[in-house]
Amino acid sequence: MRRALVLAAAAALGAPAAALASVQQVLLPGPTPYPTPSPPLVTVAAPPTATLPFRIHASSDQHVVAGVDPDGRVVSLRALHRLLLSGTGDYLIVVSAPVLDVSPGPGSESQPGLRRGQILWAGFSSKKKLLSADATLRPGPAAPFLPMRLEAHLDGDRYTLTVTNATLTSELSFAGAASPAELARLLDLTRRDSLSGGKLTSAYVSIDGLVTARGERAQIAAPLRVEGKLRFPSAPTSVSGGTVHGRTVTFSLLLGDGRPLSRRVEVRGVRTEPLLHVEARPTVLVRSLVPPGARRWSDAVRRRPLSAAALLKRLLDARMQLVRSDQYQSFLSNPDSTGRNRTVYVYETAVPSVRRTVAGPGQGSGGSGGPLVALLALGGSVLGLGAALVAWANN
Amino acid sequence: MRRLAIFLAGLALLAAGCGKSSGSENVGELVIAVDVPVTGSPYVAQTIRQGVELAASNLNGGGGVRVGNKSYRLKVKLYDNHLSARRAVQDTRRALDAGAAAIVTDGTGVDATWELARRDGVSVDIAYDGGTGLVDAETRPNVFRIAPTNHGIAFRYAEYLVPKKVKVGLLSDDSAYGREGAADVGRAFSENPEAVALKLTLPAGQTDVTPQILRARRSGATALLVWGQAPTIAAVLSAARSIGWQVPVYAPPTGVDPFMRQQLADHPEWVDGLTFASGRMTAEVGTGPFTSFESQYESAYGADLVGVKTAAGEPVVQPPEFAMYSYDFVHVLVAAVTRATSVDPEKVTEALNQVTTQGANGDERGFNQHSHEGVVDDDVYFARFHDMTFQPVRDDPLSATLPPIQQTRGG
Repeated sequence: MRRALVLAAAAALGAPAAALASVQQVLLPGPTPYPTPSPPLVTVAAPPTATLPFRIHASSDQHVVAGVDPDGRVVSLRALHRLLLSGTGDYLIVVSAPVLDVSPGPGSESQPGLRRGQILWAGFSSKKKLLSADATLRPGPAAPFLPMRLEAHLDGDRYTLTVTNATLTSELSFAGAASPAELARLLDLTRRDSLSGGKLTSAYVSIDGLVTARGERAQIAAPLRVEGKLRFPSAPTSVSGGTVHGRTVTFSLLLGDGRPLSRRVEVRGVRTEPLLHVEARPTVLVRSLVPPGARRWSDAVRRRPLSAAALLKRLLDARMQLVRSDQYQSFLSNPDSTGRNRTVYVYETAVPSVRRTVAGPGQGSGGSGGPLVALLALGGSVLGLGAALVAWANN
Repeated sequence: MRRLAIFLAGLALLAAGCGKSSGSENVGELVIAVDVPVTGSPYVAQTIRQGVELAASNLNGGGGVRVGNKSYRLKVKLYDNHLSARRAVQDTRRALDAGAAAIVTDGTGVDATWELARRDGVSVDIAYDGGTGLVDAETRPNVFRIAPTNHGIAFRYAEYLVPKKVKVGLLSDDSAYGREGAADVGRAFSENPEAVALKLTLPAGQTDVTPQILRARRSGATALLVWGQAPTIAAVLSAARSIGWQVPVYAPPTGVDPFMRQQLADHPEWVDGLTFASGRMTAEVGTGPFTSFESQYESAYGADLVGVKTAAGEPVVQPPEFAMYSYDFVHVLVAAVTRATSVDPEKVTEALNQVTTQGANGDERGFNQHSHEGVVDDDVYFARFHDMTFQPVRDDPLSATLPPIQQTRGG
């Protein structure tokens, strides 16, 4: 009897370990949470209780315009935020953002309110209602959450623009023993979600045995589709990374999805910085989810053995990238967490480029004669100060 | 032992002294001036004043307003502007001398008083008049309003009536209220001139407007939108029904003024079908919050009897709509004081742009840097009279969602 009790106790103690070793369902990344708090933008101001009843849904379309200086630094920021409500009922929407001012955007059926760090909407939606806000944002706190960084240099007759995907972040991930067939099915599901452009469907993977943290943090970036146009006063002689059409250079890049996160466009035979217009769109994953030698991942694993560990890593990385891409689809928040969001980020020259015309080859990028101007200014200041002193002494 | 007793007695005296000192120094007063037409429009004056007093009484019952380590009790001071801008200016000066933190008004004389108040950083809240131009967040940063706006009502009427394919006769009286409303209605219908049969001004205070109503009928009008004081609306209904013209009549919030029903008490059937627009009294959360407010109001002041009865002989009461607006303003003001952590009027006025509270009907109330209107245009609803009481209409999306409010209190 005593032995039986001891055996039973041992069995009970052993039970958790057995459970730990059994197959468990582990939630895959997506559609949320996002890996970082922003975007969408948030401010420190405590928002009032915002209400969007369950019978009202909202989709958002956003057009974010970043004004950049000749070096590519963001100096101004505007966002056209269009919320399309569907459903009938009251709404109170608080969009948290470092907003300087806001006015109704085109077609808006209501007036946006402004508070420190908040855009407000309140009213009644009868089936459909368009709320459109044209918001001027403080670039300081908002620019770090833009998805792309530009760096421009004019050196002699060579103009270089470096375009960098700024959405890179690192995330914890896991590893474990999973069935290749199930992983292939999940990859197919994820691929379908990606190609449809919608949010990811929640999914679980069965892990046999222990779930462990992956050795190194995953490096995750939202894939960006970038289209750019550089308009020069005179026709460039050559370009790498783009195409010349008369005085205009165009380029089309994919940053991420297995491609480099930074690309460079180099233009020769120009003396002035161009008027720049670059559009970036968070996009879907295509390359990273193409099955090897088959139409579907399920077919691919049937044809030849594929490493389950590699498949799991691919699945997790792909889903994290899609979550990151979805995160950047909403620069300003949408009160409907399940609503569809689309954001286009436009980078445009904010200051006329003629301010920095180069005097001649070999003079360097400080084409406005920096040291000479500084000396003249200093001399002028000293003379002015002297004159003022004389005048004061004579009074 | 004796030494211990002396020590304890000293300690007790010290403690008592401390208590008294902190009690007297840490209580202040926050004066809210109410400037309303007690002798010009008693119903409006009474309902606004009682809304403010009820809010003050509730807040004082909870210990007043706490700012830092000091509590402030709300004190309400009443002034009678006699519906006169000149008197409103005098009242404002007196209120400022009395240290008012805010002035709540029906709207009389605000064009003249807001600058006086602004010099002292004091906010002015309009709880009745929806006149366009009275409130402008940029040019009159200290003027706020919690009441439906003429602009909102006019545009909601255009939105409501134009799809009905009626030919609207736009009538207004020559009072300031009528003139302002006519301008807003004109703008609202300007994009649909085909919907307007005629525009006509009526003399305010005239009891017989039959010639004008005959003219409206000849113009082909199939609906009348009458923007005027309550007696004008009564006169239009009287004239139209007397000549047997059953034209639908629409009115601004003055249509629900008890005076209109009192005027037509002998012909309740003439009131039937009159539609008016106003700010909705119940929010999406249901009737609960408003009913609770109404019962508090009636406990404190009794029901506002209209002075007419239903066909069943039940006395009709007026729901405290405008009391709700002044009541809400006091709560928003207190939220602003709390946010500003100061009773300095200038800081409080500035903070009014940044706060939201839950209103008496469950709706959010607040202002912002771009809008000093506490009732948004979307909150304008339509209600129609039957048997001296009214119910929200069913052919407007917002109004259709609203439950009726009980307006009788038994025989």
